[in-house]
Amino acid sequence: MRVIVAEDVMLTREGIVRLLRDAGFQVVGEAEDLDGLMRSVVLERPEAVVVDIRMPPTHTDEGLVAAQRIRTQHPDVGVLLLSQYVEPSYAMRLIQDHPERVGYLLKERVFDAAILVDALRRITEGECVIDPTIVSRLVGRRRREDPLSQLTDREREVLALVAEGLSNLAIANRLFVTERTVEAHTKQIFGKLGLEADPGSNRRVLAVLAFLRSPVA
Amino acid sequence: MGTRVWLDQPMRLAGVLLPASAAAVGVVTLRVVPRSDLAVTTHAGASWAAGVADLAAGLGLLGAGLVVWLFRPGSGSGPLVVSLAGLAWLAADWVGWEGGPPVARSLAMAVEPFFLAFVVHLVLAAPGGRLRSRHRRIAVGAVYAAAAIVSVGRALFRDPFLDPWCWSNCTDNVFLASAQPDVARALDSAWILFSLAVGLLLATLAVRQMAATTATARRSMWPVLVPALLLGMAVGAHALALLRQRLESPRDPVFSSLFQVRAWAAVGLAVGVILVAVRAWRARATLARLAADLGEAPTPGSLGLALASATGDPSIGVLYPLPGSGRHVDASGTTVDLPANRSDRAVTPIVRNGREVALVVHDAATVDPEQLRMQIGAAARLAVENERLQAEVLAQLEDLRASRARVVEVGDAERRRLERNLHDGAQQRVLALSYDLRLARAGADAPGASDLAALLASAEEAAQGAIDELRELAHGIYPAVLTEAGIGPALWTLADSAPLPVELGELPEDRFPKAVERTAFVVASEAIDAAGRLESTHVALRMFRNDDRLILEVKGAGPGPFVHLADRVGALGGRFTNDASLIRAELPCV
Repeated sequence: MRVIVAEDVMLTREGIVRLLRDAGFQVVGEAEDLDGLMRSVVLERPEAVVVDIRMPPTHTDEGLVAAQRIRTQHPDVGVLLLSQYVEPSYAMRLIQDHPERVGYLLKERVFDAAILVDALRRITEGECVIDPTIVSRLVGRRRREDPLSQLTDREREVLALVAEGLSNLAIANRLFVTERTVEAHTKQIFGKLGLEADPGSNRRVLAVLAFLRSPVA
Repeated sequence: MGTRVWLDQPMRLAGVLLPASAAAVGVVTLRVVPRSDLAVTTHAGASWAAGVADLAAGLGLLGAGLVVWLFRPGSGSGPLVVSLAGLAWLAADWVGWEGGPPVARSLAMAVEPFFLAFVVHLVLAAPGGRLRSRHRRIAVGAVYAAAAIVSVGRALFRDPFLDPWCWSNCTDNVFLASAQPDVARALDSAWILFSLAVGLLLATLAVRQMAATTATARRSMWPVLVPALLLGMAVGAHALALLRQRLESPRDPVFSSLFQVRAWAAVGLAVGVILVAVRAWRARATLARLAADLGEAPTPGSLGLALASATGDPSIGVLYPLPGSGRHVDASGTTVDLPANRSDRAVTPIVRNGREVALVVHDAATVDPEQLRMQIGAAARLAVENERLQAEVLAQLEDLRASRARVVEVGDAERRRLERNLHDGAQQRVLALSYDLRLARAGADAPGASDLAALLASAEEAAQGAIDELRELAHGIYPAVLTEAGIGPALWTLADSAPLPVELGELPEDRFPKAVERTAFVVASEAIDAAGRLESTHVALRMFRNDDRLILEVKGAGPGPFVHLADRVGALGGRFTNDASLIRAELPCV
């Protein structure tokens, strides 16, 4: 798989590049800022990019901007955003307009080669990837009347995996059940929570995240 | 009006003479105006309507002078000029006094030309009663000089008996030194041309004044300028008529209608002068009331409002110099720049005991600086002093607030810097460490090295712990999401990770000034912490914009105390209130 890595801190960038090469990826470009990344994407036409959320010149949300730009201009290129912030709002902003081929992972997680490889594979297959830490923070959010209490333990588990962006097949593999069982679970969950989104589509991730963040706690 | 101690001697004299002479002249003129069918020697005598117009004009101007003098003390020679214009107007009736004392008729002949001079003087000196520029003084002086030459020349050289165009007085000139019909005729011709010129000048001046000055000045001056325009045109037209037909006849429709126009224009002028004077008097009364209200401590800015209504200039402003800083503040203590050199704005300093206590910024065209000083001096001295002291205190408060805000700002900037250093420094290094550990563990997974692998696994775990803690620490020092996404998303994050349920009500999507967002965040965060310590069941939080304020309300955080929150909100010029059930912070967010 052809990948570009954009990260301004050399130490981290080299680590990621080495990891990707070891895992058999072809790193076709390295960038240190937004403009360099956009140039490389046009030149190299990679299948995916790995982007740090904070890059020069302003060190704020360049990565998010880059992700949105790439998703609009090169819809076939997947984007994996790396961040040190456990910020559901960033993750939601990322998947808001294009809920497919994007991912938001905490930076330390990618040093686990298996997770990095899995995330990139899922992204290029058209799924979206949300960091489990963010999902577990949202699921574990303190609520006065917890609508999640209507769910069985298994249903909660499935809900969290849906929020992480896993497809029904991926959830089935993870839980060692059949895809049909997962389908039944998601239907049941969406019914109980009153969620309107199509439980089979990528849009369901955003719907679940929005539900988990609903203002009346 | 009982305290006019500042009146000087000539004004006292005028005060006695004016009403007396007005009454006398009026009564005599009534007797003088003949209604003869034989010879018509005055316009007033030509018809009943002309008589009414004539008396209205003459007595109107006399009375207007009196009213100005009564209602607008301190307007210098103004009232005298107006009354003299009335007298000069009535002189025409005395000239034509058939059978009257020759000395009265001759004297009236000498006075008559001055009417034009008095009118030009009073129009150019309006509204303050003073000629404010050198040009105007020269113009008025020239008209007086011309009138004087004609007056003296006629007195010395005109023998009415030898005047082919005499109509109102064909017999008497007691001052005659030597009969010089040619000289008298030349003088008459010159005076007609001069009157034409002055009439047109007066009209042009009135139009220009109306067009050139500010809206405020127009509003206050039109009652004088409109009649002046009319009168100027009528005087010019009269001169033209005389050039066409030198023998004036009050029965001729052209002359009689021109007389009517002149007379009613003069009446209009009298009414206008009264109107302007009464307005000014009411304005003074407002200022006097302000001075009287001082016992009840007027709100800051009431002096400016009183002056605005006193001068008719709504744009007027009072500024106070701050001792030792070179700055000027308004009544609310806000620093204000003096207007740059602009022709339409003027700055009049108010000086007390050799010290500049206030600056009045006003419309240059409407407000006469001299008069302004007097208006303030007479009635509002205490108001000025009081407001100046208030403004000083308010300005000091404002400085203090600004310095508090700077302290908070510096603190925030420092925290932001720390967060960045943590993020780009320590956090990255620990990440790299954790990566190296992972690689080392992969290498150590070989058989027989299980101790090493276990050791590395625990080191890796420690590194992950350090990463988590560093992240929390960095977020606590300064949440990056606050700068990057704004207060709304930052409050979401706060609610996501709160130790108790946080119910979010309406939240604004707009961005606000950095200091405002940071302060709102600190208030929300501390309130949630306090609620957590109290073990409340939940916290409800909402934030909305009310005009130029951002309002944050938190329910369920307990009674506090939240002294440092009040300090922080106060540093931005906001308001912090709290009781057992509600915390409310109002932050100015212009």
